[in-house]
Amino acid sequence: MLRKLLTRLATNQLAGVFVAFLIIFAISASLSPYFLSSYNMSVVARSLAFVGLVTIGQSMLLILGELDLSLGVIGGLCGVIAGILMVNYGINPAVAMSMALAMGATLGFVNGALVTSLGLHSLVLTIGTAGIYGGVTLVLTKGVAITNIPAEIQFLGRGSLFGVPLPFVIMIAVLAIATFITFKTRFGRYMYAVGNNTAAAKMLGIKVNRVRVAIFTLAGLLSALAGILMVARLGTAQPSIGDTWVLPPIAAAVIGGVATTGGIGTPLGAIFGAAIIATIENIIVLFGVSPYWQGLVSGTIVVLAISFDSISRRYIRREDQ
Amino acid sequence: MKKLLMSLLATAVIGTGVAMAQDQAGLETKDSYRFVIIPKVVHPWFDKVNDGAQHAAAVIKAQTGADVQIDYSAPQQADVVQQNQILESAIATRPDGIAIDLLDAAGNRASLEEAVGQEIPVTIFDSVPPEGMELTSIGNDFCEQAKIAARRLVELLGGEGDVAIMMGVPSAPNHAIRAECHQEVFDEHPGINVVATGIDNDDIETAQKQAAAIMQAHPNLKGWVACDAAGPIGIGQAIQEAGKVGEVLLVGLDDLPEMLQLIRDGVADSSSSTKPEMQGYWSVMTMWQKALGIETPEYIDTGIAIITQDDV
Repeated sequence: MLRKLLTRLATNQLAGVFVAFLIIFAISASLSPYFLSSYNMSVVARSLAFVGLVTIGQSMLLILGELDLSLGVIGGLCGVIAGILMVNYGINPAVAMSMALAMGATLGFVNGALVTSLGLHSLVLTIGTAGIYGGVTLVLTKGVAITNIPAEIQFLGRGSLFGVPLPFVIMIAVLAIATFITFKTRFGRYMYAVGNNTAAAKMLGIKVNRVRVAIFTLAGLLSALAGILMVARLGTAQPSIGDTWVLPPIAAAVIGGVATTGGIGTPLGAIFGAAIIATIENIIVLFGVSPYWQGLVSGTIVVLAISFDSISRRYIRREDQ
Repeated sequence: MKKLLMSLLATAVIGTGVAMAQDQAGLETKDSYRFVIIPKVVHPWFDKVNDGAQHAAAVIKAQTGADVQIDYSAPQQADVVQQNQILESAIATRPDGIAIDLLDAAGNRASLEEAVGQEIPVTIFDSVPPEGMELTSIGNDFCEQAKIAARRLVELLGGEGDVAIMMGVPSAPNHAIRAECHQEVFDEHPGINVVATGIDNDDIETAQKQAAAIMQAHPNLKGWVACDAAGPIGIGQAIQEAGKVGEVLLVGLDDLPEMLQLIRDGVADSSSSTKPEMQGYWSVMTMWQKALGIETPEYIDTGIAIITQDDV
């Protein structure tokens, strides 16, 4: 009975990354007396929320076999646009944020449209668009943060719901919607079909390019949401917002079992990957690891987590045979 | 009447108690302290701050016997989001004090307020505290530091010629102040033209690339000043690579080993330098005093050192 339950758990796609996360979590909790404090948990949850939103979008793109390196920059640009609209033009914060979200979706749409219409590789194209969007941010701000963000929107980044940081609550809600789309809708099945075999998906009558553009648009929208929430958190619109949201979401998705070749993985797994990275970033400070050792330590833990996931999958396959 | 007298007496006793408690601040002994230093980014200038902090820890240990641990936690990139994450994680460890070089006072504010809210003593170094927050800050007059460098360059050029300014991180207040003050000095001299402003984001390689490009675009450029520690090193490298040593003058900033070597080699004339070790030392000293309950000054000026070939 127990063996059957364990085998069932082990054969779950998320088992490897979930167990890896639990091990890192348990080790952190046992080694640091501060790790499980409510304040520290809220710190980890909040830092996971922002990068998590970008990770959800990036993981859905990876499932399609695509990649968008401009998502972080889109987050920064949309945060800055929201700030400029609210501060410089005095536009109602709700309207300004909606316009910035629309801008994020538009920028994502532009990426998707260029990839599909010109037949370009998304990796190469989005290196270029990241430069353009980042350049626009610098032109708009001249490198200087937009201050005096209205206090009434700051609760979105600083507030909490029953002690849980609001950005984390928003990220969980978005994750639930993304999970529903990927598992319970026809569109979700199309995503996996396109990611697994584009030619076969076309033969089945799936409008492949429409699916691709839709996910690029969604990923842009989520990045804009992350950028706006970060502006609310900081109380300023920093041109540097999103600079650190380029590689971590890709790493998180891969750690979480999303295949870079497409067709495999889930946004939920990617969030577990992001949670592993957020925990590592947190414990590095809690343990007082020297900044010169941080890259080595975090890299080693990530490699161990991926290895654990890979070994557990191999074990599962052997059990199945 | 009796009740009134009793309450007056009680108020007087409580008042005396509070006053005595204030008088007694710093007289209780403590065996150990743990202080956190958070710089802007991993950078050699901040290693010097850490050296000063470690020295202060050793001095406290030698004089009082108390163990002092310094946790040095630096963001890998000069990014306020990353710095806030480190600051918040540090708050969770309940240290006896946090000293931080703010990347952006407004952007750091929410996290700083969390530290203050949890009654953790906070000292700001090398930057300006957020408006309205009463935190001890340690640094130097950034404007005066820049003006010293700019005036020296004007003097070397005889008040005439094209010059350029290398900005550091544009959103860093101390870098922005230095850029403004360089410009103020140059504006006072009609013969001096600021023909270009580069942005190096406190990175030597970026500074070198920017300086090389600006010198290509402005062949008549006669002199450089910078707003951060990495800038003049990159500029010096670009001047050497372009074979323009002596032709394009450089007045640097700070005292990193590469900067000192540029002065020795005659690539740079001089440097207007902050004192990072002293900032680290006094950061720990103020955190220690605050941890003892003793009030510390609002601002400690560590001064500016002028480094030339004669005293390098």
